[in-house]
Amino acid sequence: MAASAPTVQPDGGAGSPLLRRLGAWLRARLRNGDLIRWLGRGGAVVPVLMLGFVLVTLIIEAIPAIRFSGWHFFSGTTWNFGSQYGTPVHSDGLTHNAGEQFGALPEILGTLATSAIALVIAVPVSVGAALVIVERLPRRLASVVGMFLELLAGIPSVIIGLWGALTFGPFIAHDIAPLIADNVPNWPGLGFLRGDTGSGQGLLTSGLVLAVMVIPIISATSRDLIRGVPLLPREGAVALGMSEFECARRVTLPWVGSGIVGAVVLGLGRALGETIAVAMVCGVALGTLPTNLYAAMSTIAANIVQNLNTAITDPLDIRAFAELGLMLMVITLTVNVIARLLVRRVAGTALPVGRGL
Amino acid sequence: MSQRIRLACTAAALVPLTLLAAACGSSSGSTTPSSSPSASAASATGKSITETGSTLLFPLFGAWQAAYSTANPNVTITSGATGSGTGITDASQGLVNIGASDAYLSSADLSQYPGLLNIPLAVAAVDVNYNVTGVKKPLNLNGAVLAQIYTGKITTWNNAAIAKLNPGVTLPAEKIVTLHRADSSGSTFLFTSYLNAQDPSAWPSADVDTTVTWPSVPGSLAETGSGGMLAGCAVKGCIAYIGISYLSKATAAGLGTASLANKAGKFTQPTTAAINAALASFPAAPATGAEALINTSAAAGYPIINYEYAIVKKSQPSAAEASAVKAFLGWVLSTGDTATYLSAVGFEPLPSATLGVAKTLVSSISGM
Repeated sequence: MAASAPTVQPDGGAGSPLLRRLGAWLRARLRNGDLIRWLGRGGAVVPVLMLGFVLVTLIIEAIPAIRFSGWHFFSGTTWNFGSQYGTPVHSDGLTHNAGEQFGALPEILGTLATSAIALVIAVPVSVGAALVIVERLPRRLASVVGMFLELLAGIPSVIIGLWGALTFGPFIAHDIAPLIADNVPNWPGLGFLRGDTGSGQGLLTSGLVLAVMVIPIISATSRDLIRGVPLLPREGAVALGMSEFECARRVTLPWVGSGIVGAVVLGLGRALGETIAVAMVCGVALGTLPTNLYAAMSTIAANIVQNLNTAITDPLDIRAFAELGLMLMVITLTVNVIARLLVRRVAGTALPVGRGL
Repeated sequence: MSQRIRLACTAAALVPLTLLAAACGSSSGSTTPSSSPSASAASATGKSITETGSTLLFPLFGAWQAAYSTANPNVTITSGATGSGTGITDASQGLVNIGASDAYLSSADLSQYPGLLNIPLAVAAVDVNYNVTGVKKPLNLNGAVLAQIYTGKITTWNNAAIAKLNPGVTLPAEKIVTLHRADSSGSTFLFTSYLNAQDPSAWPSADVDTTVTWPSVPGSLAETGSGGMLAGCAVKGCIAYIGISYLSKATAAGLGTASLANKAGKFTQPTTAAINAALASFPAAPATGAEALINTSAAAGYPIINYEYAIVKKSQPSAAEASAVKAFLGWVLSTGDTATYLSAVGFEPLPSATLGVAKTLVSSISGM
């Protein structure tokens, strides 16, 4: 290729000495490897720049809202855009709508709580499913179940949200939530599980819908990990007289422990940032903390997507959303860092940990 | 295997991207017809008008759209039921020619987008519907009771405050499920305006808006669009505020329609006579077109009525678009503002003085 290149005129450079010189220069760089090196460097720098750019933009945009809310942003429980139809109020050198206040505590806690519910449900189910697929099911059946898992991962979240709002939410409210609410003993600390079971939009439904979205991610990754466990130690365990459960608990799972933590973090990342499905089933309550497990609530992402129309016509509202977005980024990054530390502590094979597949 | 998942996820991620690109391409094509060579040739004769906004107006706008397109086959109108908030936002950002809204522009909107007009198109109303077991007669409700229901102070239908307004009606001990709009909505603005007008202590003016921070009420449901409210009200014990254009569907679905108290303390149904009686009690719209028609003092008047607005930028991107929008709105204010189109959705035509204001506003639209 390189030998024949000089004889062939570069098609774009015909007649133009400048373009011809550019072509020759590029060919020389390609030959000595400079071009590849620069492309590689650029590729390495771009993601860092992008993250930095997003962070810096969010911080700059959020500054007026940070000044306006102060610590109230983390302690306040009411998110109110105020009345755009009222007379604007002046305070702290800012003109804003009457009644406007940005207390993000319900959204921050809502984001963490829905993700926690999702993981509590999804982790045992996913790891169990992965173990069964690899170790128990006949090969052909396992591949069919595996295919369904992958298809489940591919369902757009808006469809899961629709199903959650129309079918799953009412089912939870009428058939599942009363079972829990009526049978939980009246002990202190369990009051959160009792009380009005609502109409199907709220914390529990959001968490369960997220679990449905997270299960395929965790189980598909865990399945691949467990499939990678060598046969010899497992055979050894069985030869020592361990049952299949003991073998899984003492040999297979410890072998892939850090990997499974990584898979769970992948799922958690999805759950924390999931927007439209949660927005459709959370009930968009911006005024209070949820009073029990079934009460309407909101998450950071759901609040932003549901109320962007309102915020965009008000200069301060959109700044508050920038601060909220910054919060979500901080939470996601913190979770990622903690997970990395966890993985390092558990040791074993290091797996890439990050958001999304 | 994980590679295959990754591939599937990438494909799934690409699909919305391509859709987005397609959507952007088509919308930019329709708003600026001169950008594509084929459209620029047709722009001398073919015109396109885009609309998004109010779900309350949407059924009527669909009828207008069909009739106008039939009479003017060279004009393409695209419309979308997105909620009034989106209509206002889209029009202010120049994404559409007409943003439909049940609410007039707020002081905040006007200070940020001084070039926006709100042009009255017709008179509509918002009704309060409910699904209460065994209640066949229309229930009497007032702002104070509704405010207590929506703040969670009244939680069952047989509450003493509701019973006091409805002597002789047997109310079940059914739990009240409050429905409110999840999207930014003109119906929300009108409903909360009514609550505030009737009982400012129970519903402060800071909670009157197209987006409201709803108080936490156990079992409350957030719904998108007037259609969402209607569908969501299949739940037993529900209460919802829905635009009058969905009243026939609501009645067909077995929902009751509340008689609401007006300022005179009389309970009225959203009938043609009651809407017109309320309309007559208010002066003509001011030159800006923005006027609240809530809580009429007329004894026979229905308390939640409003002008439906077209939110339009005074200076349109081109002279051709300005003339297309003016021609369409001119048609709406003459041919479109008659019982032929309005009666099917329960709307009323504009009173003549307001019609004059609207026509003046339309004539002030110009191309850049």
